[in-house]
Amino acid sequence: MSPSTLGDGARTSRAASPNPLLRRILVTLALLGAVVGLEFGFDTLVPDVALQQLVLFALVNVVVALSLNVINGMAGQFSIGHAGFVGIGAYTAAIVAGHIHKALGVDDILFSNSFIVMPAAILAAGGVAAIFGLVVGLPSLRLRGDYLAIVTLGFAEIFRLVIATAQTGGDVEGPIAKFLAYLGGQNGYAGPDRNGVPQYAGPFWIFGAAVVAVIIAWRLKFSGWGRALRALREDEIATASVGVDPTRYKVTSFVIAATGAGVAGAMLASMRNGNPTVQPDQFTFAYSFDAITMVILGGSGSVSGAIVGGVFVTFTVKMIEQLQRFESVQALQAAYPSLDLNALRMVVYASVLIGLMILRPEGIFGEREIIRRKPRQRVSHAPPEPLPARTEAEANPESETGPLTGKAEK
Amino acid sequence: MAMKILNALITGLAQGSMIALVALGYTMVYGILKLINFAHSEVFMMGAFLGFFGITALGGKDAPLVAGVGGTLLAMFFAGLLGMLVERIAYAPLRTRGKGKANTRITPLVTALGMSVLLQNLAQLLFTAQYRGYPQLLPIEDTRKVIFISAFSVMIALQFLVHKTWMGKAMRALSVNIEAARLMGIRTSRVISITFITGSVLAALGAVLYCLDQSQVYPTMGVVIGTRAFVAAVIGGIGNIPGAMLGGLLIGIIGEMTKLTAYSGLQDVLVFTALIAVLLVKPTGLLGKASIEKV
Amino acid sequence: MKTAHPTRKAPTAEAGKPLLVVENLAVSYGGIKALKGVSLEVRRGEIVAMIGANGAGKTTTLKTIVRLLPIATGKVVYDGKDLAAVPAEEIVGLGISLVPEGRAIFANLTVRENLEIGAWNHKNRGAMDETLEDVVRLFPRLGERMKQEGGTLSGGEQQMLAIGRALMARPSMLLLDEPSLGIAPRLVADIFEAIARVAQAGTTILLVEQNTRLALKYSMRAYVLRTGEIAMTGDSKALAENEEVRAAYLGG
Repeated sequence: MSPSTLGDGARTSRAASPNPLLRRILVTLALLGAVVGLEFGFDTLVPDVALQQLVLFALVNVVVALSLNVINGMAGQFSIGHAGFVGIGAYTAAIVAGHIHKALGVDDILFSNSFIVMPAAILAAGGVAAIFGLVVGLPSLRLRGDYLAIVTLGFAEIFRLVIATAQTGGDVEGPIAKFLAYLGGQNGYAGPDRNGVPQYAGPFWIFGAAVVAVIIAWRLKFSGWGRALRALREDEIATASVGVDPTRYKVTSFVIAATGAGVAGAMLASMRNGNPTVQPDQFTFAYSFDAITMVILGGSGSVSGAIVGGVFVTFTVKMIEQLQRFESVQALQAAYPSLDLNALRMVVYASVLIGLMILRPEGIFGEREIIRRKPRQRVSHAPPEPLPARTEAEANPESETGPLTGKAEK
Repeated sequence: MAMKILNALITGLAQGSMIALVALGYTMVYGILKLINFAHSEVFMMGAFLGFFGITALGGKDAPLVAGVGGTLLAMFFAGLLGMLVERIAYAPLRTRGKGKANTRITPLVTALGMSVLLQNLAQLLFTAQYRGYPQLLPIEDTRKVIFISAFSVMIALQFLVHKTWMGKAMRALSVNIEAARLMGIRTSRVISITFITGSVLAALGAVLYCLDQSQVYPTMGVVIGTRAFVAAVIGGIGNIPGAMLGGLLIGIIGEMTKLTAYSGLQDVLVFTALIAVLLVKPTGLLGKASIEKV
Repeated sequence: MKTAHPTRKAPTAEAGKPLLVVENLAVSYGGIKALKGVSLEVRRGEIVAMIGANGAGKTTTLKTIVRLLPIATGKVVYDGKDLAAVPAEEIVGLGISLVPEGRAIFANLTVRENLEIGAWNHKNRGAMDETLEDVVRLFPRLGERMKQEGGTLSGGEQQMLAIGRALMARPSMLLLDEPSLGIAPRLVADIFEAIARVAQAGTTILLVEQNTRLALKYSMRAYVLRTGEIAMTGDSKALAENEEVRAAYLGG
């Protein structure tokens, strides 16, 4: 199930394999078979419900990390409000799925019906998140990285606060206020009849989303678009001077990342056996910070890194929840009331992140991947290369001389 | 109604001058290092706790003057120390490392963010998440006067420091060109440390004043006030000291005014909206001069 | 503290001894070798020029001498002291001032504040005021603009301010990086006359200049740098008549 087989492997092997189309169809069928198999075999494979949850949640987080990686890793921008996009996707998907489920009139969550509900929910979630991504990405036209970071945080907080502080009880006037009241304020949204969001996203959908996300991320990274983005990150002026429009690339990266986050949100909202209520508190800054940790731990710009980071962070979060169920841990907490395991986790993460930035700023993988990409052969319809990919060393010798002279002698 | 508005104006001024004290820390650091010191809000929170412990230890309500002044000074001292440590641990090592490496723009943002999360959760571990009541040292009207007067005298002192002293000249020189400043013999790491110390000391003063007014202290308090203060700094023009003061007052007054309307819960939504609006329309803020370069 | 004065200091008995010795200096950034073993020597009281094309390593040499760039191999010795372990902040205290390329004045500080910052190393007010008067005598234009912000000055005035600021530290040795760059020709002559006066008063000067004609006219000796190496050295007058130099740098 390696992404490279479908990603660029397909293109590089074109010369070797006599029928690349056949090969591609076979790989797609194999993957499809795998996720369908998982849908029905997951219960046998992973009998423990808590562990099932954990695996599904980890996969959603992989999608979150992969999408954030487009902005933070590839584009070299810095979003600290990614939870906002996930939240928008989750609310949108919950509303859409809830209403379609109601319209279907079948109380049971049928796998066959999920093919009606989920595509609609995913499309709506991705689409609405993409629109917000465009809105948030547009300021990158005129803002430096750190200012843009603040805009993303501001956006995510506005989204969360508007929903959380909405008046729900009593009479509310106006369409906007009514809509906000409908979303349930601090208590969250639990479907049109307030009996829970229908949980159509089983292993098929969540594994499927993760696999598709990995493939897209991989292809993006090694496409001409991905190379242009990397070149822009290293030296915007030089890249712009060879005809790459920085604005378009940056805004597009925001839209792509937001779409991915929206889809992850859709999965989160309708995850089987998950939380049937979408709540504003799921999408605080803490979640955005977790997403940043996933990307940076693994290595900004690395697809494998984002996967490893997403899985690792999810497991540690859940592990701490599990730990707190142990009697010995509860006894310890009774003795030391200030022992907040989650706070401890955050302290550790933050320290690791700081240490990593100082000692190994490129993360565990750097930009590398676990699977080496085969060297590309010249293919006639390969995407144009706007700039040769630059190595770190040759990135920008001028900048080392600092602001004193502006230009260095080489 | 008019009376209500007047009252809100007065409260807003007091709140605003306190926010301005915190905003100064953001603006000074940004002015010199072009770095958003996300950890500043948590230094503010730590300052509030330090003040709480200091005031309680020095007798609290039984000796309002000694406890108030002594506790505040203690908080300022240790917060200054903390601010310096934050810089030395999280930011200084990045400066000495070679430039030109990948993600040089992002790394300081990540460490700043990490420092902020670290301090906040450390406070949860050390002090628990509970809210603690601050000792009421003065009647509330007097507290507001104290806030207003001390905030303004501190700001005047700061203007003096920046424009009339050698250290101030060095800070301003550093903010333009750090290499040229080194050529003049300015020990840049020392000046940067002093900038962090000054900002943190002011944040601690703001924190104690804030708590005397709002009478509660808790580990996540830095997020709310820190955000408002940061927005104040940006609105005024980040890097610009009078701008931070103006921005602080504006945020304070706007905040109190919203409380008069039906949308009191939306105060922070309004703050963020104002921030985004300012960034989009005039990224340099109200008093900022130099244009912000794009990435 | 040095009590000798930049514009009045008479050549000492030690005149003629090497003040700055650069031995086999190599510097590289980002994998690119900018200097490949540069050796040069500046004796007390001399004006030495370093000429060469853009990118030959002239600015790199100066920045390495003042320790803004790390030394890969080789040695920089000033007044008998190895500078390898000296941080950039302490260079000015030893008596070396660099007037950086592009001037690098503090645009948001007034002219007076810029000059005062130049005297950061000795804040003895009396001595500072005296030096300030000397700088104003050297560049009367600065005197008229004391309260103006540095950024509002013209390019030539900024260059005067940058040189004045360097002189405020009362250096024994002044390093100048492209003082004529981007300056109105009328002011270039003024600036070089001022440099000559500073030298006359006993300050040793190492001058980097792309304008080869000017550099050879005002210097006693010169080094020709080519792609990170010393290609030629000798008397400025002799170099000005050298066929190769004429062809490469003086336009025939």
